[in-house]
Amino acid sequence: MAAPRSWGLWSFCCRGWSRVLPGCRLPGLRSSWPRGPLGARPLSQEKRATETHFRFETVSEEEKRGKVYQVFESVAKKYDMMNDMMSLGIHRIWKDLLLWKMRPFPGTQLLDVAGGTGDIAFRFLNYVQAQHQRKEKRQLRAQQNLSWEEIAKKYQNEEDSLGGSHVMVCDINKEMLKIGKQKARAQGYKAGLAWVLGDAEELPFDDDKFDVYTIAFGIRNVTHIDRALQEAHRVLKPGGRFLCLEFSQVNNPLVSRLYDVYSFQVIPVLGEVIAGDWKSYQYLVESIRQFPSQEEFKEMIEDAGFQKVTYENLTSGIVAIHSGFKL
Amino acid sequence: MRTLLRGVLRPLRAFRSRPWPAADVPLRATSHGTGLLYPEHIPTTPLQKALLAAGSAGMALYDPYRHDMVAVLGETTGCHTLKVLRDQMRRDPEGAQILQERPRISLSTLDLGKLRSLPEGSLGREYLRFLDVNRVSPDTRAPTRFVDSEELAYVMQRYREVHDMLHTLLGMPTNILGEIVVKWFEAVQTGLPMCILSALFGPIQLSARNLQVLVSKLIPWAVQNARRAPCVLNLYYERRWEQPLKALRQELSITEPPMHVQGPA
Repeated sequence: MAAPRSWGLWSFCCRGWSRVLPGCRLPGLRSSWPRGPLGARPLSQEKRATETHFRFETVSEEEKRGKVYQVFESVAKKYDMMNDMMSLGIHRIWKDLLLWKMRPFPGTQLLDVAGGTGDIAFRFLNYVQAQHQRKEKRQLRAQQNLSWEEIAKKYQNEEDSLGGSHVMVCDINKEMLKIGKQKARAQGYKAGLAWVLGDAEELPFDDDKFDVYTIAFGIRNVTHIDRALQEAHRVLKPGGRFLCLEFSQVNNPLVSRLYDVYSFQVIPVLGEVIAGDWKSYQYLVESIRQFPSQEEFKEMIEDAGFQKVTYENLTSGIVAIHSGFKL
Repeated sequence: MRTLLRGVLRPLRAFRSRPWPAADVPLRATSHGTGLLYPEHIPTTPLQKALLAAGSAGMALYDPYRHDMVAVLGETTGCHTLKVLRDQMRRDPEGAQILQERPRISLSTLDLGKLRSLPEGSLGREYLRFLDVNRVSPDTRAPTRFVDSEELAYVMQRYREVHDMLHTLLGMPTNILGEIVVKWFEAVQTGLPMCILSALFGPIQLSARNLQVLVSKLIPWAVQNARRAPCVLNLYYERRWEQPLKALRQELSITEPPMHVQGPA
C-alpha cells in the first residue's frame, strides 16, 4: 500500500545498507562487541546518518529511535484504553488468536519483545495455568485411590501452578514497562513473570534461551527490522518458534477504503480527544502504512534464517500473524 | 440578493474544492515543514473538524478539567466568527496595528519587573496582581493548531491571551463563577461558538445558590457591559500598561461588578 518511492527508500534502509557499509555489521564481528548489562551497545562511528521513515517524514535513524521513544512515553498511560477505543475491542481477539496459534504447554519459556503493558504475557500465563490445571485434574481423576500420605504430600508441596512456564517481557520504553508492572500487581500476576528493559535490535539475553519469541504490534517501531529478526533467531532454542502479530496490508479493496478513511480521519481525532495527543496517533497510522506487506515481511523473516515461514491474515489483512521456526 | 447568495455560496465552494484524500494518498504526504501554514499547524479535513468538534464538546462536558478540549472546540467551530473578528480588527486603527505587529503576551515578552514598578491602579500592576493572586501564568495558553489560516490562528491566539486581561478588566477571579461571567462577556463580544456553548453549559455544575447569584446579577451585568463596550480585541494592551484601570474601564464603558466575587483563598 505504500507509495513506490518510499518503498524504494525503505528497502534500501532495511536490506541494502548493511551490505553497502563494509566491515561494519558482519555477523562474525557481532560476538566480539562488548555487551552492556542491558544491551545498548554504543553505535559505531563509521555508521552513516542513513535515512529512514518516521511517519511520512524522512529522518535520520537516530532521530527515529528517539521520536518513537517519545511517542510511547507520552501514550503509555492511556495505551490500553486507546487500543480498545481505536479497535473497538477487536485487538483483544487478535491477541487471543496469537495465543491460540502459539498453543504453549506448561514449561514453555516465552520471550515477549515490545510487550510493554503485558497483554501477551498475561494471556500466556492464563493459558498455561489453565493447561496445567487441566493436566492436574486429569491426573487426579486417574489416581482416585490415594493414600493419606500422598494426599498430605500434595497439599504440602508448593505446587508450581504454571508447571515451569516463564515469560520474560522485554521493552525499550521504561514508561510502558511501568504500566505493565502496575497492571500485573493489580491483576495478581506474580509467578513466572519478569520485566526487562532492552532493545529488540540488541537483546540482553544469551543465545538459544527461549522456546517462543513473540512481538505483538512492536516490530514496525523498530528502526532496523532485519536486526531484530536476527536477534530473534539468535535467542531462540533450536526448534523454537517466532511469532509476530502486526498490522499489515488489507487485501479487500472495499475494506481497504473504509480502513483508510477510518485510520486517517478518525484515529488522530480519537487520540486528540481521549489522550490529548494528535501527533502520536498520526504516527501510529502512518507507521502502519509504511510497514512491508505480508509477502515482503515473510521474505525478511526467511532472510534472518527462519524456516517454514507462514502467515495468516486476520480481519481481511488489517492484521497478520507471521510464524517461523528456527530449525 | 446576488451578494447575499454569493455570501452563502462562498463557504460551500471552499468546502467542495477541498480535496478528499484518496485511498492510497495519505493525509500528510509532505515532508516536515511544508504544507503547514504555521509551526503548530495540523491540517484537518472537514470530517475531522466535525469529529473533533463533537468529541471535544463531549469530553469538555465529561471532564471539565480538560481545558485543551475547550480550546480545540473553539478552533474547530470558530472559522466563520474568526473571519468576522479579523475584519472588525482591520477596520479599527488600533486593531489593524495589532494584526500587523502581532504582539504576544507571554512570560518571555512581558517585562515583569517593569510591570511591578508601575503605580497602583494601573493596568499593568493590576494585571500582575491578578496573575499572582490567582496563581496563573500567561504561558498556559495552548497554541492554535486546527485553524487553517495563519492570520486567523493569530486572532485566536490573541483572543486567548486577552482572556486574562478581561479577568482584570471585569475584576473576576479564576474560579468557576468568575470564568462563567467572563465567558458570557466574551460570548456577547466575540460571538465565538465555543464561548456561547461554555456560557450556556458551564453553569450546569454550579450550586443552586451560585446559580441564582449568577443569573440574577452577574450575567445581566456582563451582557450589558459587553454590548456597550467596543471590541476588546482591538485594544493594544502592551501599550496601555501605564493607563489607570479605572480610566480604561471608563473608556470601555465597563461598570464595577454588582458584587464582589470571592477569589481563591
